[in-house]
Amino acid sequence: MKKIIALLLAALMMVCCLSACSEDKKTDTAEAKTTKKTAEKTTEEVSDLEYIKSKGKLVVGITDFEPMDYQKAGSDEWVGFDADLAKLFADSLGVECEFSVINWDFKTTEIDKKTIDCVWNGMTLTDEVTTAMSCSTPYCNNQQILIVNKEDAEKYASADDCKHLNIAVESGSAGEKVANQYGFTITPVLDQATALMEVKAGTCDAAIIDSLMAAAMVGEGTSYEELTYTVGLSDEEYGVGFRKGSDLTEKFNSFLKEKIADGTVEAIAKEYGIQAALIK
Amino acid sequence: MNTFIEQFPTVIEALNVGFLQTLKLFFVTLAGAIPLGLVISFGSMSRFKPLSYVTKLIVWVIRGTPLMLQLLIVFFLPSDLWGGGSTSRFIAASIAFIINYACYFSEIYRGGIQGVPVGQQEAGQVLGLSKTQIFFKVTLLQMIKRIVPPMSNEIITLVKDTSLAGTISMQELIWAGKAFLKGSQGISGQIWPLFFTGVYYLVFSAVLTLLFSRLEKKLSYFTV
Repeated sequence: MKKIIALLLAALMMVCCLSACSEDKKTDTAEAKTTKKTAEKTTEEVSDLEYIKSKGKLVVGITDFEPMDYQKAGSDEWVGFDADLAKLFADSLGVECEFSVINWDFKTTEIDKKTIDCVWNGMTLTDEVTTAMSCSTPYCNNQQILIVNKEDAEKYASADDCKHLNIAVESGSAGEKVANQYGFTITPVLDQATALMEVKAGTCDAAIIDSLMAAAMVGEGTSYEELTYTVGLSDEEYGVGFRKGSDLTEKFNSFLKEKIADGTVEAIAKEYGIQAALIK
Repeated sequence: MNTFIEQFPTVIEALNVGFLQTLKLFFVTLAGAIPLGLVISFGSMSRFKPLSYVTKLIVWVIRGTPLMLQLLIVFFLPSDLWGGGSTSRFIAASIAFIINYACYFSEIYRGGIQGVPVGQQEAGQVLGLSKTQIFFKVTLLQMIKRIVPPMSNEIITLVKDTSLAGTISMQELIWAGKAFLKGSQGISGQIWPLFFTGVYYLVFSAVLTLLFSRLEKKLSYFTV
């Protein structure tokens, strides 16, 4: 009996050790552990900018979203209007830029929990976003537009024609919000591309997505040639989201101003065909 | 990039990267959960009641809640621990999977150990073996033989459960396949890459099934 208890206690201790190991993967020695603890204590007083600098990298939360953040065929490098600008911004801070693909539903949680440092992915500045994050000045115009099959385009020329349609929207997106304002019947799906897929497959009648994305993904020469866009439902703006109370926002705003002034932003926008939507 | 032939190499390359992540998570989970499960099964069989109650409570909570929820809790609750980036997602997923699967394994082990007839232990006692000796020399091998079929069941389930790691944006196989539905690397609106991931899972579970049936044959040289 005693032996069994001893064995169990030993086993329990092993479990504790194991879990301790996994928790402190990055810091091996006891010394490192204490320094980490003190570092953690001070992070609350240390500004976000210093936190990023001490970490040496800016983790940018993105989704695969042409033309803002995407990968070209056969390459694993992230490019796009947002991605290129993010790299320049990280350079200006003197840190590395790391892209982390996230689940869009969790963007606020990810940023609060410091698993990412900013959301930079053609994010529409809605009330939800601006209250949950510290947002930059808007840099790009956008519209929520209605996507339908080409042969139906004439039937659904105004928002009122669409009341009886089953419309696919990205769950938690600006498109969903607009659809609710209009009182549409909606089917929330995982992301904007899935919304397009639903229309193509005929499981939904229409979709509401960002005009910037529609320009790149719908119509002649794309995978969705049989789809087209009809009605613009709302105007809105894109911004970058940082952690609440972060001093990075200020830093980014002045960075953006500077880059707009010297024409860098316009050059990048031209490369990705979105110069018309740019806010100067 | 519009024909199937053109798309195929790009898609396969991306799926391979995803599959590698899936494999990594699979093996790390097994390496962690198999020993941890044994520890937990000892805990729940303990004659020291408080320990057995606590362990059973943990097993109940872990088996009684969805793995997806556990993934979210492990990733988002101890926030500062992970520090961001794709490695952090992998570590968090591994920890959640190890804890979850250890609990399932522990119950299989318990069934295996308690299924060995008492006569076997009594025989060990007659021969003057200590309790530890009885466990390692008499019970353990008989238990292993008994648990192979249920373990193979659980392990094959694990192959497919790894896809849940996509919840915390770990880029595993399903995620890689789904990317082409959304649009990635110039290919968008394609559903076949997602279906094609099924081939990977099928082949992998076929290999595992073969391995397990071999193991069972090897262990069939004695009967109890």
